Amino acid sequence: MSASASPADMVSYQSHYAGAVSRFVAYAIDVAVATAAFVLGLAGASYAVQILTGHKVSWNRSDVAVAVVFALWQFLYFAYSWAVSGRTPGMALMGIRVVRADGMTLDPLHAVLRALVFPLNFLLLGLPFLVILVQRERRGVADLIAGSAVIYSWDARTARLRFLARQAELTVGEGAPPAPADPGARAAG
Amino acid sequence: MTDPAEELAQQVTERVVDLVVSALDINELVARIDLNALLSRIDLDALLAHADLNALLARVDVNVLVNQVDLNAVLARVDVNALLDQVDVNDLVSRVDIEALVQNTDLGAVIATSTGGVATEVLDAARSQAVGLDQLVDRWVKRLLRRKETGPGVPPALLPPPVTSVEVAP
Repeated sequence: MSASASPADMVSYQSHYAGAVSRFVAYAIDVAVATAAFVLGLAGASYAVQILTGHKVSWNRSDVAVAVVFALWQFLYFAYSWAVSGRTPGMALMGIRVVRADGMTLDPLHAVLRALVFPLNFLLLGLPFLVILVQRERRGVADLIAGSAVIYSWDARTARLRFLARQAELTVGEGAPPAPADPGARAAG
Repeated sequence: MTDPAEELAQQVTERVVDLVVSALDINELVARIDLNALLSRIDLDALLAHADLNALLARVDVNVLVNQVDLNAVLARVDVNALLDQVDVNDLVSRVDIEALVQNTDLGAVIATSTGGVATEVLDAARSQAVGLDQLVDRWVKRLLRRKETGPGVPPALLPPPVTSVEVAP
């Protein structure tokens, strides 16, 4: 079975509940970004301490203080992003957004609550992630507790116009080459 | 040679007519006429049936007529804002086939050069593939769970507004 929809099946998924793959990829990007930012921050802090005190500071991964700060940083990263715009950098890249269960904008209180219960996904060995697959509204455990949902929110119509524009330009310039996948066809709203 | 009697009669007649006309008070005469009654007796349809309007219009030089119209003065009296208020711009735009416009005009090249880019193209493709995989996983899960009915696809607040039917008067 192919992962790409045929042009005949062009269905609008704009504002639909986002699926597990998009959400997982967005989460992977966020973990990478947050971890990279944390490591850079630690390196910067080490450098600053070394400049100010003359002592070289080394951070150990098993250090409880580092683990606590890392957990706090993760919480801030997700809670702030969801509270401010409803999307983390990873979600912005994948074109998805957190909203309230009824579709309204997520308020800061629910954003913080969602970030607080988000670690349950790891504490329960990833089982809550599977809920996204079977739940009819594709809501995970954190969503069910925080009263939130994740939807597609990228501008698929513009993406489709960009695709058509590129096709038109190629047709004029070089004849008619084989068409690549139409990006906006699936999620055009 | 003209008969002297006939000439005399002609002069007398002309004089009498002059006297009668000068004695008549035309305004009073017109005031006595019941124009409504008079007009009600006229069959305008029959009158128009006799008139060849095409021939009449063919004799009218429209260019000369238009040249005499001061369009600037006419336009100055038009309230454009009131006119535009009556136009449903959203409905107008929704009738435009944007995709055909992009494909068939230079607008496509403009969009491609202004918004295009390798990063944008990659991002569009990545998102599209992710949506495709989402649907694929969804189909497999439904198959495994033997679930036929689909859940709500969109949160209630984001549902598109219902389409209202418009009745057309016969």
